[in-house]
Amino acid sequence: MSCGAGDSSCEIPRRRGAFVMLGVMTAIFIFLSVFSFTRSRNQTVPSQITYGAYTADQGKHIFQAYNCMGCHTLVGNGAYLGPDLTEEYRLAGPAWLAAFLPSAGGWPTEAAVRTQLVNPGMQAEAGVDTIEAYLKKYPGAADRIARRGGGTTSMPNLPFTQEEIGKLLAYLKYTSAMNTEGWPAKILVKGDLNDRLRMAHGAGFTPTGGQVAPAAAVPTEAAATPEDPAVHGERLARDYGCIACHASDKQKLVGPGWGGLYGSQVKLSDGTSVTADDAYITESIVKPNAQIVDGYTPGVMPDYSTLLKEDEVKAIVSYIASLRGQEKQ
Amino acid sequence: MQIQYKTQRLSLRFFMLMLVLFGFQVIYGMILAAQQVDPTLLSGVLNFNVARAEHLNLGIMWIVCGFIGSILFVGPLLSKREMVAPWLIKFLFYAVIVIVLWNFFTQFLAERGVAGWWLDQPWLQQGLEYLEAGRIAGILIFVGFAIVAFVVLRTFPPIRQWNEVHWGLGLGFTALMVVWVFGLFYIQRLDLQEYFRWFVVHYWVEGVWEVIHISLIGTFLVLMFKADIKSVGFAVFWGITLVWLSGLIGNAHHYFWIGTPEFWQFWGSLFSALEPLPLVFCFWHIYLDAHTNKRPLENAPAFYFLLGSTVLELVGAGILGFVMTFALTNVWSHGTWVTAGHAHLALFGTFGMLGLAAAYYAMPIIRKVPHYDQRLGKLGFWLVFTGVLGLAFAFSIGGTVQVYVYRILGLDWFGGDIYRSMGVFKLMLPIFGLVFVAGALTIMYDLITLGQRVQTPAGTFDHDVTADRRVTGWRKPLTGFEAGIWLLWMWVFGTVITLGLLSFNLPRVRVDGDPTLPYLLAGVGYPGLLLVTMLFVWRFLASMEARMAVAGEPTTADDAMVPNLV
Repeated sequence: MSCGAGDSSCEIPRRRGAFVMLGVMTAIFIFLSVFSFTRSRNQTVPSQITYGAYTADQGKHIFQAYNCMGCHTLVGNGAYLGPDLTEEYRLAGPAWLAAFLPSAGGWPTEAAVRTQLVNPGMQAEAGVDTIEAYLKKYPGAADRIARRGGGTTSMPNLPFTQEEIGKLLAYLKYTSAMNTEGWPAKILVKGDLNDRLRMAHGAGFTPTGGQVAPAAAVPTEAAATPEDPAVHGERLARDYGCIACHASDKQKLVGPGWGGLYGSQVKLSDGTSVTADDAYITESIVKPNAQIVDGYTPGVMPDYSTLLKEDEVKAIVSYIASLRGQEKQ
Repeated sequence: MQIQYKTQRLSLRFFMLMLVLFGFQVIYGMILAAQQVDPTLLSGVLNFNVARAEHLNLGIMWIVCGFIGSILFVGPLLSKREMVAPWLIKFLFYAVIVIVLWNFFTQFLAERGVAGWWLDQPWLQQGLEYLEAGRIAGILIFVGFAIVAFVVLRTFPPIRQWNEVHWGLGLGFTALMVVWVFGLFYIQRLDLQEYFRWFVVHYWVEGVWEVIHISLIGTFLVLMFKADIKSVGFAVFWGITLVWLSGLIGNAHHYFWIGTPEFWQFWGSLFSALEPLPLVFCFWHIYLDAHTNKRPLENAPAFYFLLGSTVLELVGAGILGFVMTFALTNVWSHGTWVTAGHAHLALFGTFGMLGLAAAYYAMPIIRKVPHYDQRLGKLGFWLVFTGVLGLAFAFSIGGTVQVYVYRILGLDWFGGDIYRSMGVFKLMLPIFGLVFVAGALTIMYDLITLGQRVQTPAGTFDHDVTADRRVTGWRKPLTGFEAGIWLLWMWVFGTVITLGLLSFNLPRVRVDGDPTLPYLLAGVGYPGLLLVTMLFVWRFLASMEARMAVAGEPTTADDAMVPNLV
């Protein structure tokens, strides 16, 4: 090399050469970049995707506002505390997500997902109208319900409104539809879920064990009749995912807490007050939008009139009545 | 050496602020480590995402404070005159404090889902990794960068008289401001948003910070060994040139899976594989600069951190970056803990240690305690160095397990399956975190109280122990051949790690679900690499210390020598 260290006569041509090379690199980079975002690429864009009345772009606003990327990854970028969300919509489907998000501290049960499927709008988005068809179409939801349903999660309960959840679903629908060039890689491993669990945790692992409550099956009549109605009600409340939104004390999760509710005076949004007796609580379950408690939004709680039988509603009411003394926070 | 220009003193306040922000960042790091073990900890009070946003933003802020402190200290020396507009620099100092406090409070709004949307821009916080600050803070930060660039460019001599270090710092501080602009817009499309987010993150780290880093390392080596700036000019020039030629298109390694086309996988794999070149180059030069020059080490902690910065840049940014830069390895490492190992070593190692090195060099001079007690500084170095290597180990191995359970077996229940498999490595985070915290506290205490503690008489530090020992074995001068062997071993282990990530593609792993090979290669590669790194730094410093024992105390003739920076 003719230009040795510290030889100042060579500095200027060297510098010039470097800038020219840099210019060439920049040109290549810009050329590639332009081709990455042209329409011929056929990449899904937010303006093509809606979920109900909401657009994917509205959802992106919510996604950023809650800094979801601070715990989760999206297209693999973000934090690694929770799972990647890119394909969550495709895997678990809208009904499971809609059942999960209002009370992210608990995993939804099958009943809670079924509750979501009562809504005709949800049926249209999910493309199915029965829970059986749903679980077949979204195998991720089936897995989640079977292993986690009714258990607690590591995620904090976030104060999502129903509207925000709709928007988030629109955004996740968009990210699921994106072409990410084969990432994350397809799972090719042999065997079913139990085989894979044993590969992860050792041959002695029993998949159903652990802290998880068993999958929420619809309670059979035989099991239900001899029980104390309050105990029966407690189990129903868990299976149907009620406890995801309603605490057993006075705490406000998504809906009002049940502790000390029975027999108390409830202030309604129209300014009147009403005593929380059997009739009021029953109506709140089967027609939740008839009377809204002061400070809550209508339309958040699904209508349970077609999901619960009359005696089941009665059992839940007696469970709530049994929580009269539990006012502690 | 003494302060030659009054405005050099302004660097002191930025170094102090740097140390305070460093302290807070480390506290947040410990909270995050504890939350990794128990994710429900502080749930609803300080959620993980808020703590992480603070951890990242404070990290950026204190690294930038270190840069500003360094340029204020060396700027007048490089320009042979005072910094211009000292009032503006003082204003900047208070502005940084206000921005940090503002951002501290606005990040909590993420728990309520409040971003402050107005005119389709998030004004209070924007929930994008590394760029969590909202638009208000973002614009103020831009103004701050503009002030820095203005002060630097106005202080520097006319452009015709610039040497390579002037070019590096001049371009670096200007680009610091320019690149930030790409993070100041809301973008609807996720792929386009990620594309521009990496403009800021990648081009900052790979294009701007690294250029400032190379220039400052060169400058401090000249100052420390009282050399001529021309002796590092060549290295600085090639360092910067290679950084930009590889890093510009190297950004493509972030565009593999974000929804951009497949051709980026080719460009990214090719060019970012070249990214370690300047780092090897810089690494080699710190060896040459320190060893061809036989001067004794006057300020050991400053050199310790300078060496740590260069070595961890090679290992953390270079080698651990290289292993996951190919589309075939990145497809597994992407979105897992494997990347966090690289990030901690690269960011704290390269840039954090540079700031600490600069503080250790400048503060004794400003406070007029040139022969200060160096033992605490050395201890602090070894603690943070061990701590961060340990964190990288936990993240990398934990990440390898995560790849297997999450990406190969497809188990996506973090609370039930992933945490269960990663448990041991999660537990290692707070453990190595404590080692790191101990080091950080030592450094903070040492630097903040420097010159205010009871003075130890000069010459009683550790020269007395080493003086009569013969300089052999572990302490003998490091030859170029030996340094080359160390470097070779680092790359051997780097190759093992790369093969480990590649082996996830084998049908034996992907179809049969047998993790033996990737686990074995990771189990050899990571500990091997990190251990070699540690031993090499130990060996390098031992040979430097031995030189001090031979040369004895610096003489007055040494003190009279002046480095030439122009």
